[in-house]
Amino acid sequence: MAASISGYTFSSLCYHSANSNSDHEGFLLGEVRQEETFSISDSQISSTEFLQVLEIHNHEPCSQLFSFYDYAGKVNEENLKRILKERRKNVIGWYRFRRNTQEQMSFREQIIHKQLTHILGVPDLVFLLFSFISTANNSTHALEYVLFRPNRKYNQRVSLTIPNLGNTSQQEYKVSSVPNTSWNYAMVIKEQGAEFFDKDGVMKDIRTIFQVYNALQDKVQAVCGEVEQSERLKETFQEEVNKLKKQIALRKSEKEEERRLSQVPEEHKNTYLAYNSRVVCPGNAAEEYSLENQDTSETPPPYSEVIPLDSTADSQETSTAYLPRPQAVGSSNYAPPSLGAAKFSGNGDGSSTDSSQGTSGNDDEDSSEYENLANEPSESSDSEFSQLAEGRPASLRPDGDSRNSQASRI
Amino acid sequence: MAVNAVHLESDAFLVCMNHALSTEKEEVMGLCIGEFRCIACDAFCLSTNMSSIFTLYIIPLNTCHRLAEMTGRPMRVVGWYHSHPHITVWPSHVDVRTQAMYQMMDQGFVGLIFSCFIEDKNTKTGRVLYTCFQSVQAQKGSEYERIEIPVHVVPHETIGKVCLESAVELPKILCQEEQDAYRRIHRYIMTLSEMGKGVQGLKSLKTTALELSVSQICLFYSANVSTLELCLAHLDPITKIHNGSVFTKNLCSQMSAISGPLLQWLEDKVEQNKQNIAELQLEKERLILELTDLD
Repeated sequence: MAASISGYTFSSLCYHSANSNSDHEGFLLGEVRQEETFSISDSQISSTEFLQVLEIHNHEPCSQLFSFYDYAGKVNEENLKRILKERRKNVIGWYRFRRNTQEQMSFREQIIHKQLTHILGVPDLVFLLFSFISTANNSTHALEYVLFRPNRKYNQRVSLTIPNLGNTSQQEYKVSSVPNTSWNYAMVIKEQGAEFFDKDGVMKDIRTIFQVYNALQDKVQAVCGEVEQSERLKETFQEEVNKLKKQIALRKSEKEEERRLSQVPEEHKNTYLAYNSRVVCPGNAAEEYSLENQDTSETPPPYSEVIPLDSTADSQETSTAYLPRPQAVGSSNYAPPSLGAAKFSGNGDGSSTDSSQGTSGNDDEDSSEYENLANEPSESSDSEFSQLAEGRPASLRPDGDSRNSQASRI
Repeated sequence: MAVNAVHLESDAFLVCMNHALSTEKEEVMGLCIGEFRCIACDAFCLSTNMSSIFTLYIIPLNTCHRLAEMTGRPMRVVGWYHSHPHITVWPSHVDVRTQAMYQMMDQGFVGLIFSCFIEDKNTKTGRVLYTCFQSVQAQKGSEYERIEIPVHVVPHETIGKVCLESAVELPKILCQEEQDAYRRIHRYIMTLSEMGKGVQGLKSLKTTALELSVSQICLFYSANVSTLELCLAHLDPITKIHNGSVFTKNLCSQMSAISGPLLQWLEDKVEQNKQNIAELQLEKERLILELTDLD
């Protein structure tokens, strides 16, 4: 089997994963077709082989983890239908993005995969696994990807190619003609070759293909304009939703405050108020406090609110040099839970599970759940990636050597 | 002054990845636009012609101005990126020297490298790597060495206008390069100093790599007195048809490998956004009701 994904779809997957503060997953849409290949060898005049070609056209990202399955890995068909809608028939696989994990399917992923195969009716459903690792100083990052065919007993891993422009050099142009003194040759090519040129001596095909290119580029610009409009509209709606959520959180905390005040006896009210004014910090802290205590289905605050863009240069230099990376195990820049991880995942322990379903606390084999716990000592040294399992890539050292303990690396 | 860290916004990261994955046979490059705290808000794709980097340095100024207007903060070119298809992510000594040259103009200038199209044949694992670096004078000798700079991709939920424009700029750049190559084949430019050799200069053309015969060259003076333009009108129709077909083939390749997938991605993005907007609208209505109930 051969598989391919366009560079734009691949980049879009990376983009959505980069925007995610935890693991990220979604569905792969595309088609599978068969190609016939002919080969001739000494033993056979012709040999025909059928090659299955899987083409990934697009992806459907899930807005959060556990959106179509529960902690036990049981798939909810209703939720699946709601997410996929009419795209269901185009699903050829699904994908998962994890940070600092092994390139193997977890137990839960295997269970989910079996159910998806049955529910979607795709016998050869594929699973694309992304793993993101970084050096300790965060100067170099690697995104690894493996395409699995878990429903097969053998050859479960498939190479994923990214079709591209290939060779863009213009060396095929000829700067001179092959010398030829035959007058018959010159006469024939001049008479018959004239069909290819217009009255200006320019080749007609060049003008035609240029028209096709221009028409295509105009369409690209037009659709780009639509994308831009929809992005701005999405931005506006997202801001309004975030604002409403903050207002609700504030209102809830105010109501809670009023309720507590009403329960406190009169003589103790002043003491209570004085205590609360010390607990609740000014500025955004009240929102942070209410955010941490509200329903865990709320989305975490935007990354931009975590990074104080308006802070002074001194504090900015310190904070940007050691930007909290909640999921970078082994990173020397790993932030304490009170600073960053609690805001992102809601679990307070730096784990990467989505907080919408509550804390995980599971000890199952899904490596993403316990992979990124806070204050876990890294098995690797600070200067290299961890060599976790067979088939792991070479470790990247800060001195630039991509030393390879396996012969097959770069 | 070494840079402490680089924040690369995810939409700029998307543009860099698109560009890096556009070809596995050549290195591509571009410039990063942002602010002096090294937040790269946009990636500007450049021509693949590395020799024209200094000329093209001034072209993104329009992008800088537009980005500055949109964000209300001063924007400028803060770094460059290029791809390493099939090779290690670490910068070569040429890259380190190039980076050092940029730093002479701007100490805060940073370099990004995207390594792609790498696959381990045994485990069928593909890899895409990226790194950020600056250059510093080595302690011994006059050579430069690399210093690593932390780089973080900062989430950006929507794709900025300038990034979208950069993304759709790539097919235009590729087409322009193809046109330039086609025109270049039909012209041969010499400096006047070379033509000052007179007939001797013309005869010497016989020994150049182009292997032109003097009788097949027609000369005319261009308006610019410092250059002389030679027109190769001697190509026979078969060669012209061949060159025209090469141009057509290359443009077809660009359309099928770049423009087509780009258009597909844009259309899918419109659909995706429609869905997201509908969901956000429902969410907004639900939240308004909830807020009203609380009041």
